[in-house]
Amino acid sequence: MDGDEVILSMKDIYKEYPKDDEILQVLDDISFDVKEGELVCVLGPSGCGKTTLLRIIAGLVDKTSGSIIVDGEEVTGPGPNRGMVFQDFALFPWRTVQRNVEFGLEIKKIPAEERAKIATEYIHLVGLGGFEKSHPSELSGGMKQRVGIARALANNPHILLMDEPFGALDSQTRNQMQTELLRIQDETKKTIIFITHSVDESVFLADRILILSARPGRIVKEYKIDLPRPRDRGDSDFITIRKSILSDLEQQRKDLL
Amino acid sequence: MAQEYLTTPINKIQRDKWKEHIIKLGYIAISIIALIVTWWAIAVIVDKTYFPTPPEVFEALIQSFDNVPGIGLSMSTQLFSSLERFVFGFLLALITAVPLGLLLGHSKRAEMLFTPAIEIIRPIPPMAWVPLFFLAFGVFFGPILTIFIGAFFPILSNVVFGVKSVDQNLIDASKTFGASRLQTFSKVIFPSTIPHMMTGISVGLGIGWMCIVSAEMIGAKGGGLGFIIQSCYSLSLYDYMFAGMVMVGILGILTALFGKFIENEVAKWMGMK
Repeated sequence: MDGDEVILSMKDIYKEYPKDDEILQVLDDISFDVKEGELVCVLGPSGCGKTTLLRIIAGLVDKTSGSIIVDGEEVTGPGPNRGMVFQDFALFPWRTVQRNVEFGLEIKKIPAEERAKIATEYIHLVGLGGFEKSHPSELSGGMKQRVGIARALANNPHILLMDEPFGALDSQTRNQMQTELLRIQDETKKTIIFITHSVDESVFLADRILILSARPGRIVKEYKIDLPRPRDRGDSDFITIRKSILSDLEQQRKDLL
Repeated sequence: MAQEYLTTPINKIQRDKWKEHIIKLGYIAISIIALIVTWWAIAVIVDKTYFPTPPEVFEALIQSFDNVPGIGLSMSTQLFSSLERFVFGFLLALITAVPLGLLLGHSKRAEMLFTPAIEIIRPIPPMAWVPLFFLAFGVFFGPILTIFIGAFFPILSNVVFGVKSVDQNLIDASKTFGASRLQTFSKVIFPSTIPHMMTGISVGLGIGWMCIVSAEMIGAKGGGLGFIIQSCYSLSLYDYMFAGMVMVGILGILTALFGKFIENEVAKWMGMK
């Protein structure tokens, strides 16, 4: 992993959709590149279109214009080179942890034995060893999202797309999961695009933060965070960056009024 | 993190559960006793041959398993006839309503095409079909089709509802793994509808049971519980007529319990309970 190769490239992404009798502009002129192994946070107020942006990358939603290149190919729909982790987990309730993690491998028609082996590996990676036979309803929110991450990773995607994955968790679990995510990324070297509205979360996790404006979403600023990891939330550099981003967002809010 | 928030069952919770069960059984017993006492009181007050007392009916019920006078068939034979018809008609409803429900829930066009016709047929009570079914299909298949009509619609509407209420996030999740439409259908949409299907089956069992009994009152090859009620009425064997009604009630409860049971078991098996 040389960390210099561009794995995802978005150019002039524009998105609008009809709502009632109006046309709603959601994203305006979004362009950015993501390099292999990078952890990029997309930060913005609710309704800024950041989830739409991620869903466009996932291929779940069509863009209105512009181009997205992943692995050198134009994105035209969902594909196994992009894995997604959902805010509300989106686990299959009738499947056990094991069978949830095996889902993507089943789609790829990988033989049962190999499937089980790969799934077990990722279940252990996310720290859920011993819960293979549990159903999602028996797990806490944090554990559910561990399953969500394992399920996405087991499919071996090049990019992991995370849509406010810890947004439904209490703040303690949330902090714990952030640390876990960094550990998992360190072990798997995955490229991650992480959507959040939490400034704190983005500064804690990201190599780079893209700040989106309120609707229509535009990239208004980009921060490169090169604080050493593990990052300390009480550290003065951490706080300085945090303050700066908060004031950007505040400026955004004022501009709207 | 391994033990994060997993609830452990405690002895006390189990004991309290037992207590709850016993209280529940107590209420059931009181309810049944109250019903019998009320029935008895009315029978005594009314004092007519067409309203026998519980002991008279009980005696007739025991006797009927040997032989129902005037009809010549035992209760168990009649019961078997009813159940056989019930199973046939119900399975017929199941194997037609489930695929149609999946189609209607899945395809907007199919729904637009079929719904008007279905909505016109649905309000016609199953009993209103009986004469036609007898004319067209005779005394064996006639009653079977009546239960088919009775069970078909509850299963259909629950399956349609089930398909429509599939969590869109699960479909998206499936798509992000590159699942084809068919794979998404078989691995996500279909399993999601199973609990709803079970609700439809449970409701359909109840309605179907009422339909079969009423259809048999008009006529049925090989008898049946409805047939007993009707014949004993015309033969003025009122205690046997009541015995038939009691059997219908008991079997009805058993059918309903069976429906609830599979609904619960399936939900448990799927890890959704």
